[in-house]
Amino acid sequence: MTANNDSDELEALFDSIAADAGSPAPQAAPQPAPAPAPTPAPARAITDLGDSDDLQALFDSVSSEYSVAAEVPSAPAPEPPAADAGPGWPQQEAVFNRVGHMARQLHDTIRELGYDKIVEQTMSASVDAQDRLAYVANLTEQAACRVLNATDIAGPLVDDIENSAKDLGARWDKVFSNQLGVEQFKALAAETRAFFNQKLPEQTRLTRAQLTEIMMAQDFQDLTGQVIKKIVSLSQVLEQGMMGLLIEVVPEQKRTEEVNSLMNGPVISAEGRTDVVVDQKQVDDLLDSLGF
Amino acid sequence: MAADPKMRFLVVDDFSTMRRIVRNLLKELGFTNVDEAEDGAIALQKLQAGGFEFVVTDWNMPNMDGLTLLQTIRSTPNLKHLPVLMITAEAKKENIIAAAQAGASGYIVKPFTAGTLSEKLTKIFEKMGQG
Repeated sequence: MTANNDSDELEALFDSIAADAGSPAPQAAPQPAPAPAPTPAPARAITDLGDSDDLQALFDSVSSEYSVAAEVPSAPAPEPPAADAGPGWPQQEAVFNRVGHMARQLHDTIRELGYDKIVEQTMSASVDAQDRLAYVANLTEQAACRVLNATDIAGPLVDDIENSAKDLGARWDKVFSNQLGVEQFKALAAETRAFFNQKLPEQTRLTRAQLTEIMMAQDFQDLTGQVIKKIVSLSQVLEQGMMGLLIEVVPEQKRTEEVNSLMNGPVISAEGRTDVVVDQKQVDDLLDSLGF
Repeated sequence: MAADPKMRFLVVDDFSTMRRIVRNLLKELGFTNVDEAEDGAIALQKLQAGGFEFVVTDWNMPNMDGLTLLQTIRSTPNLKHLPVLMITAEAKKENIIAAAQAGASGYIVKPFTAGTLSEKLTKIFEKMGQG
């Protein structure tokens, strides 16, 4: 676990943090947690927090593994030595010290697990991913606008066909009930001919053009699909790497609970969840059951 | 539908596409008197100016979200009678309960159909007619 291929800068930084922290043990506040994060066996660190013998043993093992942490006294007091921590926030030093340990641990683990290259790649790629997502948002918005525009154009065309057909139909009904004169009949015949020969083919042609426009507006799916797949695989790599690291270095009690909010956006996968509804019927049933 | 086709709607959503879709659906249902607002704060300004009879709102929006808008409407004497229909992607049960408790007139989860919108509007109009 030592810094065999460590960078000099990090070594220096770590040393300065450890030295600045002075002699007080890196006790961070409320719980008398032992040698903070940098234990190679976090599970062990989490158990038996209250036992001072175990604390002692654990502390010793950590101290011996980290030469830079040698100033740490071998007998950690259960209470944070607030008075000795210098001016300002009493536990500030301890926090800095702890963060220093964590940074070191993170760095070492990255190297040891070979994640550094992956993280490097994903970090440069995540900037790219933001651009890609902006591109997706842009394309989908354009597509939505194209489709809405097309329906705005096609709607009146179809309405016009419907109205003309109804009008002609009603007049033909009059012909069949002998309510139309010869001249009116001639006019109706001419209008009907024009409707079939000109208006109807013209309007349907224009409507078809809008249908084609709607179809073509779906071309975004191919492009956004490709981009999203890339981002999904990228985030998987990033997540796996980061999760591996976090599980290594973050004590269990530091893992924050899921944020409980009323603004979560769409449910991506409702499988196995009982706190969400999947369709409108469930919304209605829930409201009914509550008497709303 | 017994409702007045001249009834003035305010459609509140931060996405213009969604506003347009709701507006088009309302038009198909015979309601052409529709105005739009892109968040709760702008909606409230427009509502305060008067003339609106129905509010259709999203939940998750910048500046002022739909639930806050609903709560504000319900606590404002000259607005509290307004029917408020929520159309939102928020599908957690606690969201639906929170909206109902805040006095929402209806709750539709996205994605939704024209049929659902029509059904909910009819239901709300029926209740308004009774009350």
